[in-house]
Amino acid sequence: MASLPVKDLPIIELFGPHRNYSNGLRLESAVEPDKLVQTHCCFCGMQCGIQLKVKDNQVIGFEPWEEFPFNQGMLCPKGVKRYLQGAHPDRLLKAYQRDPAAPAGFRALPYDEAIQRVAQEIERIQSTYGPDSFAVFGGASLTTEKAYLLGKFARMGLKTCNIDYNGRLCMVSAAAANKKAFGIDRAANPWADILKAEVIWIAGANIAECFPILTNYLWQARENGAKIIVVDPRITPIARTCDLFLPIKPGRDIALFNGILHLMIEKDWLDHDFIDTHTVGFAALAEHVKEWTPRRCAEVTGITEAAIRKAAQWWGSAKSSFLMHARGIEHHTHGVQNCLGAINIVLASGRIGREGCGYATITGQGNGQGGREHGQKCDQLPGGRDIENPEHRAHVAKVWGITPEELPRAGVDVYEVFRRIDRGEVRGLLNICFNPLVSLPDSGFIKRMLERLQFFVTIDFFMSETARHADIVLPGSLHEEDEGIVASAEGRVIKINAAVDCPGDARQDWRIIQDIARALGREKGLTFANPREIFEELRRASAGGIADYSGITYEKIEKQMGVFWPCPSDDHPGTPRLFEAGSSNPIAKGKGRFYFPDGKARFNVAPYTPPAEDVDDEFPVILTTGRVVSQYLSGTQTRRIGPLVDQYPEPLIEIHPQLASRHGIKDGEWVRIEGRRGICTLRARIVTTIRPDTIFVPYHWGGGKSINQVTIAAQDPISKIPEYKVCAVRILNQYGPPANAQGLEPQQ
Amino acid sequence: MSKEKLKANIWAFVVTAILARLITLGSGNLDRFDAALVPYTFATLFAVFGITRRYALWLHRPPTAMYWTRGWKVFLLLLHPRHVGSNAILFLRRLIAHYAFNDFIWRRGRMRWLAHWCIMWGCVIAVAITIPLVCGWIDFRSEADNLEWYRVLVFGYPTVAFPIRSLVGFLTFHGLVWSSFLVIFGVLLALRRRLSDHGAAALQQFGEDLLPLFLLFAISVTGLMLTASYTWMKGYGYDFLAILHAITVIFTLLWLPFGKFFHIFQRSATVGVAFYQDVGKQGEQAKCRRCGNEFASRMHVEDLITVEKQLGYRYEMPDSPVEHYQWICPRCRRALLGLAQGVLWNESQAQG
Amino acid sequence: MFLLDQNEFFIDPARCIGCQACVQACSECDTHKGHAMIHLEYVDRGQSTQTVPVVCMHCESPTCAEVCPADAIKKTEDGVVQSARKPRCVACNNCVLACPFGVPKMITDFELMMKCDLCYDRTSAGKKPMCATVCPSGALFYGPRPEIDQLRPRSKPMNQFQFGRQTITTKVHMMAPTGPVKAQYLDVTEVMNENGPRQRIALDILSNLYASEDGV
Repeated sequence: MASLPVKDLPIIELFGPHRNYSNGLRLESAVEPDKLVQTHCCFCGMQCGIQLKVKDNQVIGFEPWEEFPFNQGMLCPKGVKRYLQGAHPDRLLKAYQRDPAAPAGFRALPYDEAIQRVAQEIERIQSTYGPDSFAVFGGASLTTEKAYLLGKFARMGLKTCNIDYNGRLCMVSAAAANKKAFGIDRAANPWADILKAEVIWIAGANIAECFPILTNYLWQARENGAKIIVVDPRITPIARTCDLFLPIKPGRDIALFNGILHLMIEKDWLDHDFIDTHTVGFAALAEHVKEWTPRRCAEVTGITEAAIRKAAQWWGSAKSSFLMHARGIEHHTHGVQNCLGAINIVLASGRIGREGCGYATITGQGNGQGGREHGQKCDQLPGGRDIENPEHRAHVAKVWGITPEELPRAGVDVYEVFRRIDRGEVRGLLNICFNPLVSLPDSGFIKRMLERLQFFVTIDFFMSETARHADIVLPGSLHEEDEGIVASAEGRVIKINAAVDCPGDARQDWRIIQDIARALGREKGLTFANPREIFEELRRASAGGIADYSGITYEKIEKQMGVFWPCPSDDHPGTPRLFEAGSSNPIAKGKGRFYFPDGKARFNVAPYTPPAEDVDDEFPVILTTGRVVSQYLSGTQTRRIGPLVDQYPEPLIEIHPQLASRHGIKDGEWVRIEGRRGICTLRARIVTTIRPDTIFVPYHWGGGKSINQVTIAAQDPISKIPEYKVCAVRILNQYGPPANAQGLEPQQ
Repeated sequence: MSKEKLKANIWAFVVTAILARLITLGSGNLDRFDAALVPYTFATLFAVFGITRRYALWLHRPPTAMYWTRGWKVFLLLLHPRHVGSNAILFLRRLIAHYAFNDFIWRRGRMRWLAHWCIMWGCVIAVAITIPLVCGWIDFRSEADNLEWYRVLVFGYPTVAFPIRSLVGFLTFHGLVWSSFLVIFGVLLALRRRLSDHGAAALQQFGEDLLPLFLLFAISVTGLMLTASYTWMKGYGYDFLAILHAITVIFTLLWLPFGKFFHIFQRSATVGVAFYQDVGKQGEQAKCRRCGNEFASRMHVEDLITVEKQLGYRYEMPDSPVEHYQWICPRCRRALLGLAQGVLWNESQAQG
Repeated sequence: MFLLDQNEFFIDPARCIGCQACVQACSECDTHKGHAMIHLEYVDRGQSTQTVPVVCMHCESPTCAEVCPADAIKKTEDGVVQSARKPRCVACNNCVLACPFGVPKMITDFELMMKCDLCYDRTSAGKKPMCATVCPSGALFYGPRPEIDQLRPRSKPMNQFQFGRQTITTKVHMMAPTGPVKAQYLDVTEVMNENGPRQRIALDILSNLYASEDGV
């Protein structure tokens, strides 16, 4: 039973989201903090350094950490106000059990009793339907230790193949493309290389709002003489002053990259030496892009031919460059192809593996990088190892003290797990650090699938929209209540430090996982006393793998202000820049710079295909989605922080005035977005900063305000990333305010 | 001496002279004057001179002068027979909320409010008791037929009488004790904040913020010691304490026109400002000549234009329909700053 | 106090991304805890994502202080124009309306004008102001002159502003291009009729999109 126990209003009333503001000690200007804890932000992949002010076991504010090299004290509004997530009235301080008779649908119960209940249900479901009938979902905001433990718990404790995580909605397309082209899934360069680049190409990345601190690197590069090219359907704050703006039609990125490569070949803006020595597959690719003439490229992408030629010239003739992309090109049914297209123009230029010559995907989640490397991804084992590779299986099985046969095989991605629920193959689910009801596309389907579960347990610190469907909610820990490592988007492994203790019955997530294992009587290998012990095992498990952490220690991280993996030995300083001349890796074994047996990078033919759901007469408008700067992901945390809610209270539909006037829509008016899967009614914000054929809606809200009621669940065949960035809709303004407009606060 | 200083001196002299005359008048040509209080009397006269002089100089500043004249005009408007009733009620309400209760400080912080409120009422009570005594306006005489009763003489005229050994008597004769307690409590609260608050620590200045607290504290403590001396210690050290107390009081009186204490006299302007704003709201509004939104009263904007000209600012925009920069709202002023810089960069990129 | 002489404040709205980190951080500063003193404005959101952060420019001759009837606004010896003195401020709003940069804020509840005081608790102790520490774009920068000269070769700091016929000199500097444009001051009122964003999406794509409907 995982349907809502009662209507959502009483649940919201008790569990929120409510807005928390500074009060008491946090508003005092006469408080001497007990201590300042150096740690990192709990939000995006930038992982800015921050010092938390602690008084009486409460985080009461922050102090910039100017010594940390990446951000030097800089923070975005989320980082500034993150301290308000602690001591929050909505915080879950007890375990809860679904109880339709209770006023808010949930009844508190003793923690141990809740754990027993979870164990009984897992036991019952697995013994009735088999081990794979119970699935585990993780998240990329977990520390790497927790992610590792969760993978081990699922595969060794539960023996289920069905484990995956919310990174599936993040950068998996880039990860897959990086593996195909370079053999390694990591940003190739540290951000510091941006400063030395002559041309910076930003594809589908709203850097100002999603990775604000990176802005300073861009502007600094420009002070040093760099030209900035931005490809985006919207004039984002970065695009406003960039040197060349390419307003691409959503879903056509690969066409642009192919068109650029076409011009690079035509004008011979190629690094032939590099292509010959360090790559394979160029000839086939060159043949493929022959048809991508500037004219065809312009027709498909909606960008003028002149702009395409200018971009190609800048890119082609640059001496140094940095190409970066984010979800804008990755959230597509051809996301992997888009990323491969980007990599192709990097490889053809030969500008990689050198100072000021770089390529990176900008990972969106706090531990998006580290969280996928060590075993909560359905097809990966610790160290970035392949779960289907016998050698890899043997290594990990040995570290875990089991036989390789005992290790489950590869599972499926999160969305496919929901389809398995639909087919009755999965009956129970343990969820942590993930709010799929808000974050997955076609959320109507997700809701129905949650309702089909026989047993659903979730570990969370707040009652998220998804947690409202749970049979048992276990009170987990906030970022500042636990320690561990994460890897930032540039591959820098850094340390999160605990500032305060868990309040009430809440406890660190790794303890909860181990408590469940013990209640199941399957605690073998899951009896760590602290995160450091988990990390020590993780180091051994990752040794020899691609994501080799074996030379990293907590102390080294502190001393060096982070260690870039791979770091294969105690005396190794880490690897800020990949693919440097003379570098070696465990795959190439000295044969070359790239992570393939021959040491050569791969060009991949990346054919253009239109989005899964293109516009037509019935649904003539493109809907694209993304973030705003003051909110983060599904908003479980940020929709509870008052000042952040006030900054951008409710989702708005960005509409170009041309499109708005077609429909007689005025600024601030209620507009209904209708798609094939659902509808969503929100207020319009009329702006000239978006393509006239496209509307944009941010995705951080749940319920009736969730744009994922409309988005499409079509996925990339390789990475399984959903196509959040394009679907077809129509817009209507004659329906007035939606039913939820009254009675709910903006964040609810 | 500049013209305004001369004027201020004349004002100060006149007001001081009036006070002196009131003293001779009230004390029956010093008949009922307590000679022991002479130093206080002179300090008061000097303080009045200083305060008046500073007040007059202050009123001379263009923005203050503008509010001063506007204030009286507004006042006359308020006296219109149709509204005089409701305006009187409003005036009383503001007086009580602002001056008696200090509601605006209450909203800034409860402890802050408590500190100020205690200090303020302590001082008000103390001044209300001492000034009439110091000026010889009030005199206590035992009744001819009943030595157990005191009769209060004001300006020599007999008013109420009360028994010496009564609650009223006790409260009256110890009025300064009660006010001292209030002041000491308030000063300690204020000092605690000043010593612990990081913001206050950065901004406060000794002369401006701490000295007034120390002075009030010194007055109250020496005053209490006087009472203690004659009540319980048979006048031990009374003369010394009396001099000490006199020094603290006289210094404070003479300090009144210069330091923080001058706000006591300045704040009277808030009533005028409030009514000025009321009248402004009812009148025509100024529309920003860039965005078209109303942002202030037309009267306020025009008055500011006058004041700015008087001050020597040249915000005129003769070649533009805007005419004067004061017709631009604050939001547009901020936006213009960004636009202006953006335009500079655009031009530079277009040329570069 | 002495550090103030070495460190200076530089603003560069061209870099601003409108993230409001400055606004959120401003209210964390001890001299005005709970109140953000910095302004962040969209110039015209309908037309552009351009935003401008406005801190107090700390004028050499502050209009706000001179139009104050209560003499409540004071400048420190190191040139920082402070919030209104609490005992004196009569909440008349003169400063709010007269400041050429639109900086002071009237806190109606407190009957008090408050404004950016350069985080005096921090800067007087050698720290950077909150806004300039957190600003992710470098739109707000606080540091020694040689440092900014070295970091921003394309820019030169400027501290004179023209409003109508009035020139205002400030302690805070605005970054202007070093390039071909040679301006002695930033003429603010000159751009009264400007609103032109640099990037535009000038695509006539809707006529194709709605071709059938239009009967074209």
